[in-house]
Amino acid sequence: MTSPLLSIQDLTITAQLAGETRTLIDHVSLDLAQGEILGLVGESGSGKSMICRSLVQLLPSRAIKISGGAVMFEGRDLTTLDEATMSTIRGSEIGMIFQNPTSHLDPVMRVGDQIAEGIRYHQGASRAEAKKAAIQILQQVGLPDPTRQHDNYAHEFSGGMRQRVMIGVALSCNPKILIADEPTTALDVTVQAQILRLLLDIRDQRGLSIILITHDLGIVAQTCDSIAVLRGGKLLEHGPKRSLLAAPKDPYTIDLIASHPSMPAPGGDAPEEKPQAAPPIRTPSAPLLEIDDLVVRFPASGNGLFSGTGKFVTAVNGASLQVMHGDTIGIVGESGSGKSTLARAILGLTPLTSGHVTFDGIDLALHRAKALAHLRRETAMVFQDPYNALNPRLTVGDMLAEVLKVQNKTTGDKLQSRINELLDLVGLERAFAGRKPSTMSGGQCQRAGIARALAVDPRLIVADECVAALDVTIQAQIIDLFRDLKQKMNLTLIFIAHDLAIVRNLCERVVVMHRGTIVEQGRSDEIFANPGHPYTAALISAIPDINPDKRLARLDQVLQAEQVVFSMGDEFPATINKITTRELSL
Amino acid sequence: MHRYKFILHRPVQFLPVIFGVSLITFILVRLIPGDPARVLLGARSTPAALANIRAQYGLDEPLWLQYFYFLKNLVNGEMGKSILYKIDVLPLIATRIEPTVTLILCSVILSILIALPLAAIASRNQGSLPDHTVRIFSTLGIGFPPFWLGLMLMILFSVKLGILPVSGYGETFGDKLAHLVLPCLTIALSLSSVLTRSLRASMITELQSDFATAARARGMPESIVFWRHVLPNSLAPAVNLLAVNIGWLIGGTVVVESVFAIPGMGQLLVRAIFSRDYMVVQGVAMIFACGTMLVNFIADILTVAIDPRVKL
Repeated sequence: MTSPLLSIQDLTITAQLAGETRTLIDHVSLDLAQGEILGLVGESGSGKSMICRSLVQLLPSRAIKISGGAVMFEGRDLTTLDEATMSTIRGSEIGMIFQNPTSHLDPVMRVGDQIAEGIRYHQGASRAEAKKAAIQILQQVGLPDPTRQHDNYAHEFSGGMRQRVMIGVALSCNPKILIADEPTTALDVTVQAQILRLLLDIRDQRGLSIILITHDLGIVAQTCDSIAVLRGGKLLEHGPKRSLLAAPKDPYTIDLIASHPSMPAPGGDAPEEKPQAAPPIRTPSAPLLEIDDLVVRFPASGNGLFSGTGKFVTAVNGASLQVMHGDTIGIVGESGSGKSTLARAILGLTPLTSGHVTFDGIDLALHRAKALAHLRRETAMVFQDPYNALNPRLTVGDMLAEVLKVQNKTTGDKLQSRINELLDLVGLERAFAGRKPSTMSGGQCQRAGIARALAVDPRLIVADECVAALDVTIQAQIIDLFRDLKQKMNLTLIFIAHDLAIVRNLCERVVVMHRGTIVEQGRSDEIFANPGHPYTAALISAIPDINPDKRLARLDQVLQAEQVVFSMGDEFPATINKITTRELSL
Repeated sequence: MHRYKFILHRPVQFLPVIFGVSLITFILVRLIPGDPARVLLGARSTPAALANIRAQYGLDEPLWLQYFYFLKNLVNGEMGKSILYKIDVLPLIATRIEPTVTLILCSVILSILIALPLAAIASRNQGSLPDHTVRIFSTLGIGFPPFWLGLMLMILFSVKLGILPVSGYGETFGDKLAHLVLPCLTIALSLSSVLTRSLRASMITELQSDFATAARARGMPESIVFWRHVLPNSLAPAVNLLAVNIGWLIGGTVVVESVFAIPGMGQLLVRAIFSRDYMVVQGVAMIFACGTMLVNFIADILTVAIDPRVKL
């Protein structure tokens, strides 16, 4: 083996907090060879980002310091360099890309200038030379019209294009190492496949080494050469991809691999566990929830007295859906597909433009007040961000008591026992009744959120991306909890997610949404085995599988997926854009 | 360039505002106790003379008709005739507008020149001695009332040191500037304090922002990160704060012009109120309102120019 390009030796990072020293990274040693892609895997707080930031001395706080070890790069120890020398390493030797390209690009500077900036500074190029180089790089990272797009601003791009620009910024000075910190976590699955493909291509063309930080073992399996598993600042396991995935030694790694929601082979064998006792036999009764030709529109921009443009964005366009009692329905689709809007419309949280939503025989469009009163008593929602969905000033017990009192479900003496019952149901210890969200982890908060939803004794629960913000192992736990509850309480569940694998594992029926319309619906196993719509097929092929031999969608497949996505009309702006412009319009 | 289209249709929104301002000032002025004719004639007032003056200025007409004439004049670009000065209001205001505009302009420029470096030093050294010093002085600057500050500056620079004129306004450009130093300083000390605090806060936020981290990660030295990335992103809130404060300042010149005896619109307004010179009060109020709208309009244009995401 040739000597490594980068060698992390016994790296230790500590934080000084209120006179107390905490070890964040504990004697981690890793090597990175020329042209190698190293996957750093671990849950949030495991220190994977911290290690990478320490390589270029960009630690998030002055209280955090490298207290031991060395980072050897081309004969120099990076930990000993001063700020001036370091800034010649950053960008020109080690480039970085980040999880959220939106916030990591300067919103008020043209993207081309951000690429040219590094070239001018590190290579002393003239303005014209740098601009020419920037356009070239934009072309290399796959922007369709680099000359024109050089002058665009970050908010004018979609999420995937922004990440391409970010990669362009990182590559501008020909670094030898690229650190990619969760580069695809904020992106849709088809876009993710394209970005991963781009990273692989760049590695092949330029022979640069990549450190890829991710929580998704599927991504690691598809792109990396070797894997390092981190937990609590310690390196648990490190080795070549195949041997590590095939024979993990550490119990945590085994757990991590087991929690990965893998997809069965197309047309292949049945799902691992269910169906238990065949699909339930349904009495031919009226559906619990019926959506008929639902349309939801929002004003496109401007809400001033004179500034209204009269244009509308159609978020849901003629969706029809029947939900029977006891159904578990997964709604999948990429961002901007209208799945969240559909959920909010079902619960009466957003006005309907036309069409009907009938819950339990009451039409929301015709009898709004009556239907709302009924919906509030019989349905509940679980939200994406467990922290922000809980009032930080209330304890979990207070929060549950509030719901119970408002709904007049439980009174006086029984209140405490009901709260305990709810906590038992969601697998939280009873002592959590006295705790506030700030002292709880993400998974615990989400359990409390589910307990709050259950407090209403709902017949229908709508869960909107409720595991998207959680670590993989926690995700698996929450999914198990939902499966449990569904069985115990005969719940009807509408589960919205962009992660198809999770929906595949939990839901009997799946609804695929694209640009506001339902393109396909049916039994999960059938749809995933034989997708009827090209868009569904594209979505499925883009999921990175944990089995390294089952390749990530080949380039032609990805391109096909891209074509499907683009050919289906372009009237729909990315949701991220919609939100930022709405927040910013005065 | 369609982001700038609002420049064309925004002025349409000014019309209802101007109408509203005209109605409110018209009513408020007439709610002040006292009679312009009586103030004008003083001891010489006889019933016949009073009636004569009232008829001359249309003060004996019913209120709605007076308002109608006022509006009619406005449409024709006139604002009636001053009772006290016996000349048309608009030419009268025109002679007073230059000192006020110069005063405000110089104060704002001075405030920016003070606030920008102070905020930059404070935010880049957050928590250190320079930061604390800046914060203490900006708190003091907000705390001192301008009239008191003005008098103190006057005592120090004009009376004790004798290097600057006490009050009044000069004839030549240099003379005017010398007379404006103290009033501008008075305004700038409080305005720059507000501005410094706001700028410092947004600079600290932007220094920790993701795009600043990204700029550092591509090897940009801290000075480039600050001046090229952090500063432009910190400006938008400051521009809007400045606009609000200038609007407030336009009314606030009344105090400063009185303290330093500058023959501007503020002083004209005070005198007009005391002599119940309805037409002049109305006129000055209208001009102030237009000035405030203009400043906000300019601020909107600047905001759009600074931040490409903003749509108006």
